[in-house]
Amino acid sequence: MIEQLTLQQRKLAYLIGIVLLMLPVILFGIPATGEEGSGGKLARLRQEHDLGESTLGKVDPTSATMNLVLLGMRGVAVNLLRMQLDEEKDQKQWAQMRATTESVILLQPHYIQVWRYLGWNLAYNVSAEWDAVEDRYFWVKEGTKFLMQGSERNNRDPEVYWDTGNTLGKKIGRSDEWKHFRKFFKVDPDTERYKGGPDSEINQAGNDNYLVAKDWFQKANDADEKRAQHIMMDVLFRSYPARSQLDYADALHREGQFDETARKAWDGAYHDWVEVFGQMRFQTGDCEIFLEMPAFENAMDQTMAASGVTRDKLEREINLYQNVSNYRYWRAKSHAEKHVNTAAVHRDLYEGEQLFKVNELDAAQESLESGLKGYKVLLDSYKDLTVDDSAIEEGLWAIMIWQKIYQLRNQVQPPEEEIPLRSLWDKEIHRVPNLQQDFNRKYGPS
Amino acid sequence: MTFDRDPFALLTGLRDWLLVFGGFVGIIFSATILVALGIYGTSGPVAVMSRVWQGLHDFTHLSPKRIWAISRLTILEAWRRKALWVFAVFAFLMMFAGWFLDSELRVDMQVKNAVSFALTTVLWLTIPVLLLLSCWGIPEDIRVRSLHTVVTKPVRRNEIVMGRILGFSAVSATIVAIMGVVGYVWVLRQVPEDHQPRLSGWNRLCLAVGLLPNISIEADPKNDLPAIDVSAKKFCRMPVYGTLEFVDREGAIATKGINTGDIWEFRSYIEGGTKASARYKFAVNDPVDQLKLESRFEAFRTHKGRIGQSLLVRYVLVNPTKSLRVPLPSFEIKEFSLNEQFINREVSYYDEDLKDTRTVDLFKDLVYFDEDEKLKRNVLQIEVQCLDSGQYLGMARTDFFIRLPDRSFLMGYFKAVFGIWLLTVFIVSIGVTASTFVKGPVATMLTFSVLIVGQGFRDFMIKLVTGEQKGGGPIESWYRLVTHMNDTLALPDTVGVQIMQGIDKVLLSGLWLTQHLIPDLSSFVMSPYVANGFDVPWGMAMFRSLAMTIGYLIPCVLIGYYSLTLRELEAK
Repeated sequence: MIEQLTLQQRKLAYLIGIVLLMLPVILFGIPATGEEGSGGKLARLRQEHDLGESTLGKVDPTSATMNLVLLGMRGVAVNLLRMQLDEEKDQKQWAQMRATTESVILLQPHYIQVWRYLGWNLAYNVSAEWDAVEDRYFWVKEGTKFLMQGSERNNRDPEVYWDTGNTLGKKIGRSDEWKHFRKFFKVDPDTERYKGGPDSEINQAGNDNYLVAKDWFQKANDADEKRAQHIMMDVLFRSYPARSQLDYADALHREGQFDETARKAWDGAYHDWVEVFGQMRFQTGDCEIFLEMPAFENAMDQTMAASGVTRDKLEREINLYQNVSNYRYWRAKSHAEKHVNTAAVHRDLYEGEQLFKVNELDAAQESLESGLKGYKVLLDSYKDLTVDDSAIEEGLWAIMIWQKIYQLRNQVQPPEEEIPLRSLWDKEIHRVPNLQQDFNRKYGPS
Repeated sequence: MTFDRDPFALLTGLRDWLLVFGGFVGIIFSATILVALGIYGTSGPVAVMSRVWQGLHDFTHLSPKRIWAISRLTILEAWRRKALWVFAVFAFLMMFAGWFLDSELRVDMQVKNAVSFALTTVLWLTIPVLLLLSCWGIPEDIRVRSLHTVVTKPVRRNEIVMGRILGFSAVSATIVAIMGVVGYVWVLRQVPEDHQPRLSGWNRLCLAVGLLPNISIEADPKNDLPAIDVSAKKFCRMPVYGTLEFVDREGAIATKGINTGDIWEFRSYIEGGTKASARYKFAVNDPVDQLKLESRFEAFRTHKGRIGQSLLVRYVLVNPTKSLRVPLPSFEIKEFSLNEQFINREVSYYDEDLKDTRTVDLFKDLVYFDEDEKLKRNVLQIEVQCLDSGQYLGMARTDFFIRLPDRSFLMGYFKAVFGIWLLTVFIVSIGVTASTFVKGPVATMLTFSVLIVGQGFRDFMIKLVTGEQKGGGPIESWYRLVTHMNDTLALPDTVGVQIMQGIDKVLLSGLWLTQHLIPDLSSFVMSPYVANGFDVPWGMAMFRSLAMTIGYLIPCVLIGYYSLTLRELEAK
C-alpha cells in the first residue's frame, strides 16, 4: 500500500508517525520542576525511589557531562586515574596528586567510600608526609574541604558528614600537633591570605574546632534520621555531637583554661550528654529505649507494657547501651566538671606543674597539695571517675611531681600514709612504672 | 620523568646512527640484490642498481620550488579539512580550565599544575590532528586519483614525500605556536592576584612577556606588604648537578643510603646525629664571588622530635687534600620547597681544633683537583649532614645543585613548546612514510602504536625483553591466566612448556626489534622541566630531541620515496 503513495504523502506519513511516537516519550519524560509530584511519570518514579542525580545532593554539571561522555568506560577511566594517583603519591608529587583526586571524584561523585578514602588520604596520609607543621595543617584542611565538598554532593548521606566532623575534631584536636593545629584553626598560618583570621572555608565564625565538628556531627545525625548510616552502632554514631562538646570542654582544661568559659563548656557538655543524647530513642530489637530511662520509672513501665520485655531484660539492654557509649562515666565527669570547685582542683594541679617547671618549688608544692586534697574529694564523690585512665593518670602525675619536689629540695619524704590521694596511689600502683618512665623522660630520673 | 639524564653526546650519537643506518641500508640492499638475482637472474640486480641509481639522481636533483609547491598544497588541504578547528577545542578548554585547577594550593604548585595543563593540552590536541592528516593525505590522493595529476608532472616521488612532511610540519608549527602563545598568557594569568607584584606598568609588561626573570619586590612600608620574590613563582632555574656518594653511620663509603620505607627508591636517607652524610662533588671552573646552592631534601622522622621545628641540616665544605673541613651554619629544611643557601668567596668558620674563627678562600682553599676517573677535574666537595638524632634526611643526586643565574620563564616555556613541535614533526614523518605503503587506517594504527609505545610502554617492553617482567612471554602469560597460576609459581618442566617458551622467545625477539626501532619519545615532552621551575637543558633534552627527529626523518624520506616509487598507484 505504501508504494502507492506519492513521495510527498510518504514524507507526511513518516512525520505523523514520528510525532505520534514522540508523544508518549514527551509525556513520560517531562522533567521535574523541583516541586513534589511534578514532571512526567519517569520523573515522579525517580523522585519516589530516590534515583535522580538531584536527590543525591548538589549536581555538578561537569561531573555529569564527564560520565556521559565516557559512555561505558567510566570504570576503566577511574582505574587508570587511581593507578596514576597512587604513583603520584608514591613519588610525592602532591600537586598532581591533588588534581588527580579531583578527576577521580568527577567520575565517582556519589560513591561514598571514594570520598571517605580520599578525604582521609589527604588529611592523614599526605599531611604526615610533610615536616613543617604549617604544611601538615594545610593538608588537613585540604582533606576537610574535600570531605565538605563530598557532603555537599551527597547531602543525604550521613557518613561523609560524620567524616568531616571527625577530621575537624580528632585530627585537629587530638593529633601530635594538636596544640598548633587548634591555634591554626582560629588563626591560619597563611597570614598573607587569611589576614590573621581563620580559613573561612572551614571555620567561618572563628570557632573552636570541636564546636565546628559538633555542627557537622549534628548534620550527620540529621541525615541519619532519613537514611541510616552503616559505619558504627547507632548509639555511638548519635553520641558524637555531645562527645564533641565534651572534647571541647576537655581541650580547654588541657590548654590550662579553668575560667568561666571552661565551666560553661562543661555545663553545656552535661546538658548535651544527659538532656539531649540521654533522651535519644534507640531500637534494641526488643524494645525502644533511651539511656536516661532508669531515671524515669514511668517510661520503664510503659516500655515493659508495650514491648512485653521483663524489667531485668530491659535493664540489661539499657546497661549494654550505656556501657558501649561509656555513658555513665561521661555523665559523672561532666556533672563533676561543671562545678566551680572542680575547676579549682584542676587549676591547682595544672598550676602546680607550671610552677614546678619554673622552679617555684614552694608555691608548686602548696598548689599541688591543695589540688590533690580537692581531687580526693572529687573522686570520692564521683566513683565512676575512678575507672577513667585520664582521671587516674592526672592524679598519679600530680603525686609524682609532688614527690619530685621533695627530692629536689632534699627533704625527707613524708611517710606513705601522708601522701595525698594515697588511696588512688595504692589502688593504681601497677600503672606507676610506665607513668614513671614518661615522667623521667620529661623531668629527669629520680 | 627524570631530570637526571646523561647529556646528549653528538659525536657518539652520530656514529651510532651512521652504523645503524648504514647497516640497515646495507642489509636491505644485499637482500634485495639476492632476491632479485634468485627471481630474475642476472637482470634482477641490474634492475635494482638502476633503481638505486634513479634514487641517487632524484635526491641530488631536488627542486625546492616543487617541494614548496607540494607543501603549499598540503597546507591548503589541511585548511580545507578544517584542521584549524582544533583551536576552537583549545579555546574552550582554556576558557574553563581555571575552574578546575585548585587555587588553594601553594603558588609554586599552582604554577606547576597550570604549566603542565597548558603544555599537555597543546601536545594532546595537536598530535591527533597531525596524525590523522599525515596518515590519510597520500592514501586519499591515491583514492581520488589526484596523485596521478601530480606524478605525471615533473615532480619526483621524494619531493612528494618531503613536500608532504614539510607542509604538515608547517601546519603543526602554526598550531603549536599559536596555542603556545595563548597557553603562555593563560599560565601568567593563573598566578593568584594577591601574589602578583605591585609593579609599574612597564615592569608589569616586561614581567608578562617574561623579560624580567628574577625580580625581587621590596616590602612596601606604606601598605605593610610583605616582600614578594616574583622569581619564586615563575622562573627557569639553571642547575649544575654533581656526583653523589653516601657515607654510612660508621663513616664508611656507600653507594646508597638507608631506605626508610618509600616504595619509590629515588631518594636514599642518611641518619641524623651520626657520621652518616651525603657527599656531593661539583665540578667548578672559574671563581665567582658567591655561589648559590639549592636543595630539596626530604625529612623522615622516627620520633616526633620538636614539633614546630623542622630538621636541622648542615653543609660542610671539604678539601681532603688539605684535610680541611669548613662547617657552614645549620638551617631548617623546607620540604618540597626551595632551600637556598649562599656561600661567599671568603668563608669564615669556627675551627674546633684551633678554638678560633678562621677565614678561607672558597676557590683557593676548598676547590681541589679530584683524581677520580669519572671527574678528573677541579671540584668542590660538600657534605650534607642531618643534625637531629634519630631523624633521617633523604636525598637524590638531583636534589642538591649549584644554581646558576636564572633564565627567563619565557625561554624555558617556549623550548618546551618547541619540543612539542619536534614531536609532531616526528609523528608526521612516520605518518607520511606509513601512508606511502599502507592505507589510511593502517597507517594511523601504525603511527599511533609508535606514539603510544614510545611515550609510555617502552619501559614495560624493555622489562619483557630482558626477562625482568615476571610471567613470561605472550603464550606463557595466556597459559598462566587460563590456569590461574600467578607469576611467582614455577612452570612444570614438560615438553609442552618448553615448546611454549620457545615460541615466546621468538615472539619476544620480535619485540626486541620493535623496542630498538621505536625511540624513547619522553625526551620530547619537556613540560616537566618548566613545570618544576627548571630551564630545559640543551644537552639533555633539546639536542636529543632534535637529533632524534632528524635521525628518523632521513630514513623515513628514503623509505617513503622507494615505497611510492614501487607502489602501484592505481591500487585502491
